[in-house]
Formats: sequence, structure tokens, C-alpha cells
Amino acid sequence: MTAPSITLTEQMLRRRPVIGAPVAHGASDHLKRTIGTFQLTMFGVGATVGTGIFFVLSVAVPGAGPAVVVSFIIAGIAAGLAAICYAELASAVPVSGSTYSYAYTTLGEFVAMGVAACLLLEYGVSIAAVAVGWSGYLNKLLDNLFGIQIPHVLTAAPWDSAPGWVNLPAIVLIVMCALLLIRGASESAAVNTIMVVIKLGVLAMFAIIAFTAFQADRFADFAPFGVAGIGSAAGTIFFSYIGLDAVSTAGDEVKDPQRTMPKAIIAALLIVTSVYVLVAVAALGTQPWQEFENQEEAGLATILDNVTGSTWASTVLAAGAVISIFSVTLVVMYGQTRILFAMGRDGLLPARFAKVNPKTMTPVGNTVIVAVIVSILAGLVPLDKLADMVSIGTLVAFMIVSLGVIILRVREPDLPRGFKVPGYPVTPVLAILACGYILYSLPWYTWIAFSAWVAVALIYYLLWSRHHSALNDGGDGVIATAAPGVEDVEVIGPPRDAS
Amino acid sequence: MTVVVGYLAGKSGTAPLHLAIEAARTLRTSLTVTTIVPKPWTTPSPARIDAEYASWADQLAADSAKEAHRYLSVVAGDLQITYHSHAHRSVSGGLVEVVAERGADLLVLGSSANGQLGQVVVGSTADRLLHSSPVALAISPRGYRGARTGVLARITCGYPGTPESVDVVRRIADLATRLEVPLRVITFAVRGRTMYPPEVGLHAEDSILAAWETSAREMLAKLRSDGVVGDDVALQVVSGNGWDQALDAAEWLDGEVLALGTSPRGDIARVFLGSRGTKIMRHSPVPVLVLPG
Repeated sequence: MTAPSITLTEQMLRRRPVIGAPVAHGASDHLKRTIGTFQLTMFGVGATVGTGIFFVLSVAVPGAGPAVVVSFIIAGIAAGLAAICYAELASAVPVSGSTYSYAYTTLGEFVAMGVAACLLLEYGVSIAAVAVGWSGYLNKLLDNLFGIQIPHVLTAAPWDSAPGWVNLPAIVLIVMCALLLIRGASESAAVNTIMVVIKLGVLAMFAIIAFTAFQADRFADFAPFGVAGIGSAAGTIFFSYIGLDAVSTAGDEVKDPQRTMPKAIIAALLIVTSVYVLVAVAALGTQPWQEFENQEEAGLATILDNVTGSTWASTVLAAGAVISIFSVTLVVMYGQTRILFAMGRDGLLPARFAKVNPKTMTPVGNTVIVAVIVSILAGLVPLDKLADMVSIGTLVAFMIVSLGVIILRVREPDLPRGFKVPGYPVTPVLAILACGYILYSLPWYTWIAFSAWVAVALIYYLLWSRHHSALNDGGDGVIATAAPGVEDVEVIGPPRDAS
Repeated sequence: MTVVVGYLAGKSGTAPLHLAIEAARTLRTSLTVTTIVPKPWTTPSPARIDAEYASWADQLAADSAKEAHRYLSVVAGDLQITYHSHAHRSVSGGLVEVVAERGADLLVLGSSANGQLGQVVVGSTADRLLHSSPVALAISPRGYRGARTGVLARITCGYPGTPESVDVVRRIADLATRLEVPLRVITFAVRGRTMYPPEVGLHAEDSILAAWETSAREMLAKLRSDGVVGDDVALQVVSGNGWDQALDAAEWLDGEVLALGTSPRGDIARVFLGSRGTKIMRHSPVPVLVLPG
């Protein structure tokens, strides 16, 4: 393809049109508004709980002490503010493909590529991080049930504090999820629903049992590392709040979104934060905070062992965690493949990312590539370094979304929006500040790795994507390559949203 | 050359007979109504302890033949019909033997009684044969009463877009030409269910479906440009939120048949229906013809 005739600046700022008519018309074509406040709240709670809570304590508590409770609240507020901004953008620009598509349609191609880099990092590393946590719980479960353990060299990364060869269970989990996603989206969605229900029940059981061994004096030395410790732990914890933004993706299907969306996001935030704080307080009450550091694998299950003096409760918990982490890996991996799919369709990545297999009707090649790359990450990089990478990607994406709200309000004040951020200039600015604060306290090596990754993505954009973007020839990249005679083939289907 | 129909009085009603009559008329051949009965104990015994069982099996065969005859003599007087019973320990195995014995080119079965009227319900016998039949297998929907016009109105061929299935389309196109009926080739596209939590929005699967529709259109257009099907063949991409919706969206004529190909992973030519084919078949409102690969 030849280089386009427009200047680089124009190219970097060009925006993908919202397909079809302007947004006002698109609204009539949309799915029915059926979701109410309660349902949407449950949606958010289900989406959020379980990502990190099963193993984040053993990473976050040694950095902040019992004040980790405060870190949970800060991370929650940051996530909640960003989720509200996200909701406005989602209702103004109803396209699929998450933040990447919002950025492409509002802020231009260059920013979209940067956001895509953030999202790919967030999702990719998040899969790896939860898969690593999975191997700890799997070992715990095998030990309790059969008295066997996978050898340490096969469950630890080479650069871990206790080095091994490779984290084999994490790779097995990723391969299982990839196979399920290749099998079909409907099959994956059904399996996931069952697993989500199980994980919520198991967390409730943990809090109840742990409170039976509660001792208030465990909180005596509340913040041994001061404010810096709290901020740093909030960064690590932040990724257990990813999922609150899922509420905002339902923007087109919510009844009376102006009132429902903020209510649901705040209610979900309150519930999730309460559950996390409850679990954290319950866990901290059972043992001195210094002990968390040695329970890197299967933290919550070990606590239950100590409390009950027997292994049945921790067996249930470990089983719950094994299932729960499976579901999280599945969902996040699903998201990862679909974002790559959207990018492939827009021409910013090679077209093979947008190729759908005729047999399974899923993007098989795309899923395999994701599985291979994430397996390498999960198998070879230790968990604590991974968790921070997730946070930085998410935080930057959230900041861009909040910024996007302000930019869009200035540039397109009359665009119809299903939902508007309450307390407008303050909320997005607060969101940016809160995300900025957590970003600021992340360790330097995270920053370097992140900057390098985004730089690579942007260089890739300058060298390849901008020459292949579907916007170059003014048409949809997929339809532009259509075979002759395609117009004779009739397409019959139910009415759908423009995507 | 005959059409074999598996029939047992009281099971799956007269639906398979209707389909078999139509098939025999369309193919201008004879009809063999077959009942598979259990094989009695074959060791000779002076006490004849198995006599009752053997006579029950004979009775079963006689009843079925009588029932089928009573019905067929009214509606299919023009056809040459033979009634036949065969002893075998499994119904599917017995039918395969009869098909080989008679040199049949089509085996017709009814739906199981455990399902909705008007739908193809695969019972245990059909299930087994869908993965082992040496000849083409036709299954009638529950309660099938035949076309009002009495003739085959159109053949619809399901085309999944895989390279192996081009050959199936070619064979069905030949069949349609030979029988002088119109042909339609459909590629089904089904939207995956939304994943919860929707990390990438509720509409991620819509774009997958759109991409698949686009490539399906191209593949169908290629069938025509490669000369696999003629210009008079209707080509359609039919999508839905599930297989039921997609199958409903494709409009069906009275007297239409849905033909599916199979691609067994082996050297033996036989029917071996895959997972997608099974889903399409289960939601088909018209009789389904499954070809060996």
C-alpha cells in the first residue's frame, strides 16, 4: 500500500467515524434498554470481585502493613471516578472495542494506538498475573486433596525470589482458556457464568470463618511504612478493581442511564470496596502483618488453615480460587483477543488478527498468538513485578478516558450523551489526579518497562499501521478487499447495532 | 437401488414413511420398509426357553409390517414396496447390514419422540448412524406429513466454508441438476453469547459476526466464480443470535430439504456429522439429508 497523501499530523489526529449515521440515529437502532440499577450493580460486583483478592494480600500487605485497608479504599475511589468518566464516553460513542475504540473515534489514531498499547499491556499482563496466582492455589488444592505437590521448579519463574524453571500450571491454565475461547464464544460465556457464581460464595465463606479468629491488637502498628507505603500498595491493589469499568460498557442497554449509571457504579464500588475491606480486615485480624510475606502462594487458604486448625475450609477456598481465577483468566483473555480483533479490522494490525475461523466462528489465529505470548510472560516473570504492570496500563488508559471526557465536552458540546458525568469539570480532573497519585507511587522499573512498551507500539504505528490503516482508502478495510460477485450473495439476519 | 426406511410400529409415527415415499418417488426407485428386531438366543436348546422371546420378536416385525402396509397402501399405491425384518442386536447395526444387503442408496429415519413437533430430534439410533452410515441418511422432523405439493421444491445446501466442504456443494449441485430442482447454498453465521463481565463492551461479538459474514459472502461468491454452482443458484448468508434464530431466518419452502455434508477424518466414505452440523440439524424445520464424506 502506498503512503497516504495527507500529512503525518493529520494522519495521527484523524478519527474513525462512528459507522453509519451520527450517534443520535444509532440510538434508535440499539438493543432494548432493559437493565435496571440493581442488575447493573450486580453486574459490576460480579465483574470486579475475584480478580485479585485471592492473592493480592500477600503482595500488598508487606508493603503497607495493616494500612492496606486504606490502600483498598484509595484504589477503589480512583477506579470509581474513572468508571464514571468511562460511562460518559461509552454513552456518547456507542461502538464496541472498549477504550481503544472510544479513543479512536474521539481523540484520533495516534492516541488510539497509545491506548491500545495500554490495554494490551493491561489485559496481557493481567492474564499472566492471575494465571501465576492460579498455580499457588492449584498446588494448595492438590496438597489438601491428594497430598501431592507440583515440584517448586515447575511452579516458579526463573527470576522469582526462589527461582525455578518455569511456571507450568500458569501455562496450562492459559492453554485451557485458549482452547475454550477457540471452541466458541457461547461455550466460553456459559462456562464463565457458572464459575462467577462459585467464586462469590467462596469469598463469603472466607470472611465468616476468618472473623472467628479476629484479634484487634494485630492492627496496633497500623501504618509501618507511612503514606508512601499506602500509595504503593494502592497501585498494586488497583488491579483488583478492574471490572468496575465493565458497568459502563452496558451504557446502551440501561434504563434511564442518567440516573442509573452513577447509582450503579457507586453502589458497586461501595459493595466491592466493603467486600475487599472485610476480607482484608478479617485476614489481618488472624495473624501479624509480617507473616503475609511468607504466604506468597495461596495466601487466603493458608490463613484459613491456621484459623480452623484443619484443612477442609482451605480446601474449599482453594477450589473456589482455582475456579474463580480460571474465570478471570478466561474473561480477560477474551477481552484481549477482541481488542486485537478490532485493531486488525481497523487496519492498525495485520489482517490476520481479524480473521474468523469458519468452523468455530472465533478468531482462532488471534487467540493462539495471545496464548503463546501470555504463556511466556506467565511462565517466566514473577508475580509481584507483573501486578504493577497491570496497574500502570489501566491507570494510563483511565486517565486518557477522563481526559477524553473533557476534550469531547469542549469540542462536541452538543453531541447527544446518554449519560453525563455528575459534577463535570471536577470529577474527571479528580479521576486524573487520583490515577496520577497511584501512578506516581509505582516503582521506577515499572515506569521504564511501560514507557518502552508504549514507545514500541507508537514506533510500530509510525512504521506500519499508518500506512495500512483502513481509513487510508476511505472505506472499511474488510469490505474493500471483497471478491467479485459478492453483491449477489444475500445476507439475512436479525437487526443489530452498528459496530 | 432402493430407499430403506427404518420403521417400528408405535415409534416416531408415520413421519419417516412420508419422507421415504417422497424420496422414493423423487429418485424413481423402490421402497424397503425395514424393522430391526432383537436377535433371540441362537444356541439350540431342547427346553426352548427362548421360544416366547423369539415369537415376541416375530410378532413385533409382523405388527410393524402390517401397520406400515396399512398406511402405505393408501398413500403410496404407485410405489413398489417390500417389507422386511432383520434380526440384529443393535438397531443401527442392523440397518447398516440391510443397507449393504439391498444395495440401498438412501436410508430414511424418523425423529425421536422426545422433542418438539416439527423439529428434527436425533434419537439414539439416528445418532449412531450419523457417525457410521455408509450411505446418505435422511431424517424427518417430528410429525412430518410430507409436502402438500408432493414434490421436492428445493434443496438447500449448508456450506461451512471449509475447503473440504466445496466437494459436498459440488455433489449436491449435481444432485439438484439431476433431479431438476432449484438449489440454494446457505452459510450460517451465529453470534457468540456476550461474555460477562464484558471487559470489552457488550458488542464485541457483533464485530466478530460481521467479519465472519463478510468472509462468508466472499467464500460463497467464490463458489460461483469457481464454477462449483451455476448462476441460477441462490447464495445466502443467514445469521442469528443462536442456531434456532438463524435457521428460522432462512425462509423455507414447502417440500424443501436441507442437505449437509460430512467430513470424516479417515479413508472410509461414511456419514460422520460434526458438532456444527449437529446443531444445524437439530434446529432444522425441514427434513435433513446428510451425505457421507
